[in-house]
Amino acid sequence: MSQKIGVLRFPGTNCDRDVFEAVEGAVPSTGKKPEWLWHADRFDAKAYSALYLPGGFSYGDYLRSGALAARSPAMQSVREAAERGVPVLGICNGFQILCEAGLLPGALVKNAGLRFVDDWVDLKLANANPTFARAAAEGSAAKLPVAHGDGRFVIAEDGLKRLQDNGQVWWTYEQSPNGSVADIAGVMNEKKNVAALMPHPERALYAWMGGTDGSGFFDV
Amino acid sequence: MDRGSSMSKATQAGEGRGGLSAQEFQAKLKTYRLNESEYGLICDLLGRDPKGIEWALFSALWSEHCSYKSSKVHLKGLFNTSKRVLQSFGENAGVVDLGEGERVAFKIESHNHPSYIEPYQGAATGVGGILRDIFTMGARPIALADYLCFGRPTAPRMTQIVDGVVRGIGGYGNSVGVPTITGQTEFHESYDGNVLVNAMAVGLFRKDDKVFLSKAKGVGNWVVYVGAKTGRDGVHGASMASESFGADSAAKRPTIQIGDPFFEKLLIESCLEVMKQDLVVAIQDMGAAGLTSSSFEMASKGGVGFKLHLDQVPLRDSSMTPEDILLSESQERMLLVCEPGQFKALSEVFHRWNLDAVKIGEVTEKKTVELHWHGELLTEIDPDLLVENAPQYKRPYKQLGPQNRVSSRQAWVDGLKSAQGAKKIDGLLTSLLRDVRGTSRKFIYRQYDCRVGAATARGTSDSVGVVRLKDSNRALGVVLGCRPHVMRLDPRVGGLDAVAYPAFELALKGFEALAVTDCLNFGNPEKENVMSEFVASLDGMNSICAALEAPIISGNVSFYNETMGKNITSTPSTGLVGLRESLDHLPESFFTEEGQAIYVLKQPGFVSGGYAQEIATGTQNAIGELDGRVVGDFIRGARQLSKAPQVRATRAIGKFGLAYALSRMCLEGVGAVIDHEGLKLIRTDVDQAALFEEHFYEAIFVVDGKDTTAFEDYFTAVRQVAPIAELHRIGRTGGTSLVIGSLLESSNKDLKTAYTSGWGENFESLA
Amino acid sequence: MKIGVKVMPRKEVLDTQGRAVESTLRQNGKQLNACQVGRYVVLDLPGEDEAKAMASAKDMAEFVLHNPLIETYELERL
Repeated sequence: MSQKIGVLRFPGTNCDRDVFEAVEGAVPSTGKKPEWLWHADRFDAKAYSALYLPGGFSYGDYLRSGALAARSPAMQSVREAAERGVPVLGICNGFQILCEAGLLPGALVKNAGLRFVDDWVDLKLANANPTFARAAAEGSAAKLPVAHGDGRFVIAEDGLKRLQDNGQVWWTYEQSPNGSVADIAGVMNEKKNVAALMPHPERALYAWMGGTDGSGFFDV
Repeated sequence: MDRGSSMSKATQAGEGRGGLSAQEFQAKLKTYRLNESEYGLICDLLGRDPKGIEWALFSALWSEHCSYKSSKVHLKGLFNTSKRVLQSFGENAGVVDLGEGERVAFKIESHNHPSYIEPYQGAATGVGGILRDIFTMGARPIALADYLCFGRPTAPRMTQIVDGVVRGIGGYGNSVGVPTITGQTEFHESYDGNVLVNAMAVGLFRKDDKVFLSKAKGVGNWVVYVGAKTGRDGVHGASMASESFGADSAAKRPTIQIGDPFFEKLLIESCLEVMKQDLVVAIQDMGAAGLTSSSFEMASKGGVGFKLHLDQVPLRDSSMTPEDILLSESQERMLLVCEPGQFKALSEVFHRWNLDAVKIGEVTEKKTVELHWHGELLTEIDPDLLVENAPQYKRPYKQLGPQNRVSSRQAWVDGLKSAQGAKKIDGLLTSLLRDVRGTSRKFIYRQYDCRVGAATARGTSDSVGVVRLKDSNRALGVVLGCRPHVMRLDPRVGGLDAVAYPAFELALKGFEALAVTDCLNFGNPEKENVMSEFVASLDGMNSICAALEAPIISGNVSFYNETMGKNITSTPSTGLVGLRESLDHLPESFFTEEGQAIYVLKQPGFVSGGYAQEIATGTQNAIGELDGRVVGDFIRGARQLSKAPQVRATRAIGKFGLAYALSRMCLEGVGAVIDHEGLKLIRTDVDQAALFEEHFYEAIFVVDGKDTTAFEDYFTAVRQVAPIAELHRIGRTGGTSLVIGSLLESSNKDLKTAYTSGWGENFESLA
Repeated sequence: MKIGVKVMPRKEVLDTQGRAVESTLRQNGKQLNACQVGRYVVLDLPGEDEAKAMASAKDMAEFVLHNPLIETYELERL
């Protein structure tokens, strides 16, 4: 098993260093060191035990959030890794990129209120993920910050039914800040190795940040 | 009247110059916004009439915006240094030493006129510009703050302006990835036709980061252009910012500057990378007056010359003339100087980030800037003539004595009573909580990312923004200042308060104010009353900065905030940065637990009827005087007291006085009971007006109820620092309402409803 | 009657989206001279009088659909 964790960097990614440091902070328990992965370069899909796609505004969110980043060379390697079963976590813009790349179902569009939303939200764990925040029990709560303009998760009715039937809904909002269908805040692929959420766990690691519920997301 | 330092060659009215007819000459002066005495001075300096492109150069660099010609004589006297200051005025931003290898760069700047014309882009490019001032120096931006003054919600276009400005700030700051951690928003009719948008940025240098300056060096070094291509954006913007708005302000539009936060993000990362690799000799962003100001200032400061090839400048529109290129204010561009041998390494870094670095000239020994255009030498001119020799005006002003003083508080007691009419006092409180001037700004702050960077400990919901310094595990506090209603009461007191109040807010959370940046927003300096207020407020600021040893180290002056002859409230906004040794025991700002003791720490000596009196009656009065040295000691004392281990929460008692401050503390659910006996300790007359008048200065301290003796003992030591300080226990936390003696009782629920619904009532379409 | 409103950034104004899209297309080996990104608004208007519909579409475009400082628009009958 590899001892490296890859953190993706696209032009305009702005939570990259935050996620990198969160993974570094977990090194004492995981022993796995983070490493940068640059958007323009392909990488060895077998070399990493997990991949993180941090939040931000890759390519300024132009055209559609995540659309331009999803077509970058590094994402081809992410796809290969995902197919091999490597755990992949997308946060915020990372979620948008994974949807645009077709690695997760659905899409993320403008918030229902048509405005950017920065706030703390209460979440409920719908279905556990075997890797990320695995210690949380189904039905348990978490409080994390959100900060996004395009966070409303949309999916066709049959797609939603498949998500629900397969247990692919990861987190839901207690009170949705963005009008997501079925209050969905995070989803997984069928194999559950690719997961993503709109809230930012890397901003809730220590009490001084206002909460600690994010720490389990980096302890992989 | 305006007077240049030399009038010798000034023309007689009606006479032509420089081969122009009288009429053409006057028209040209108007186009380039120069007056005849300035023209005369230019002729003196050049020894001839200016020609061709030189008109544009003098127009831009001698504009009020670039030359500070009306303010320089007064700014020279500012208190601007301390042992912590590494860089004061004269560079892109000021730099302060935090010790332990950490330093911060910070600055506040106005973008008022562009924000009124095109609110979204105006505000967005304001944020972009101030960020460039910070990372140009090699500091990574870690925080943003915005000081906004809007007109009345009912003023024409105001809803649209508020919406656009807020979206613009969020749109830029969120995307570029710098958290907006604090802000201040004011509303007053004097801003109906001239809003204020002042953005502050703070950047951090870690242990091994070098501070980069704009001073060009090294004959033979290359002058390199980096970033976005040049378009016609904002040509003549700097001189436009130096003029009042007339009825035709809508027509007076240069091409709107468009900000691209994505591009800026690439510029931040690439610039910090080339600096880390030490590939840069000097660097400056192209801000107001674009390439002109950056190149002339870099050469002038370095005492060297530049040979520039304007035809090498990357253009978005190939039909641009040299004048367009020199004056363009296209965003996200930098000018830097590097050694020829390092250009390859440098341009590789920029290419990796998808940006181009282009050589456009060289550093020369002869101290002139040569501008070349397809083989033709357009001009060769000493940069000092433009940068250092702009006229300095001593605009007429009067020394203002104390304003609006009265001998008794009857003025506002009667005023408030008549305004209140049949309304009960709790009705007055909730109406202030609902009023646009007192209601929650959550609508605004919810649109700003306040936690990107994962270092925010206190954000926009608090009185002070706090970010953690990762390497030293200490805390940096950021807060804005200037309360326009205090400026309207008395400009000297208002200027003092613009530093003292935010310093007090910092002190109440245990932060020591280290330094100040200011953005002096005033009306037309050619009017005596405006200039008098300018001088009085600077005097007030200076006295408190000296007392606190918190120097003013960066900022800008924005004059001509005047529309159709109506000046704004003089508004010297400020940004303060403070340091705290750790994040432990950072006092809250709310009542969070029952059974705690409530104290008021106060400095007696100056009281006003305050904002409530002004809203009720249109005037404000005050009793007493405010002395900078006394206030400075009091603030030091407050800081010491806030560090007492028994302290749970603190809050300054500011606008609208005691009742408003207490009600803000009740918003988290826990209420408070203030005893009549307690009130008597802090108010000579316990009446309704006593709850709304403003005492300079007071703060609420919430203290562990079991440990009050220790806290009071602690205060004894504070008296050594601030002999004037008083501490009075006035009540306790608990219950679900706010009870103030027999004067007022209001449920927390009602207070919260008023505070959170006021915004939507004022801006229906923005709720 | 349906009228299309094509809103495009003014030529002299920086088109930030166009710049980002253009650069991504180029990096992926696509050949192009330039790229502009705008907006398309479809208005379904009452009545059958084309001139009237165009006039009211023009009114709406001027009122809110485009910002004359930074954008231009064109109308087309669909």
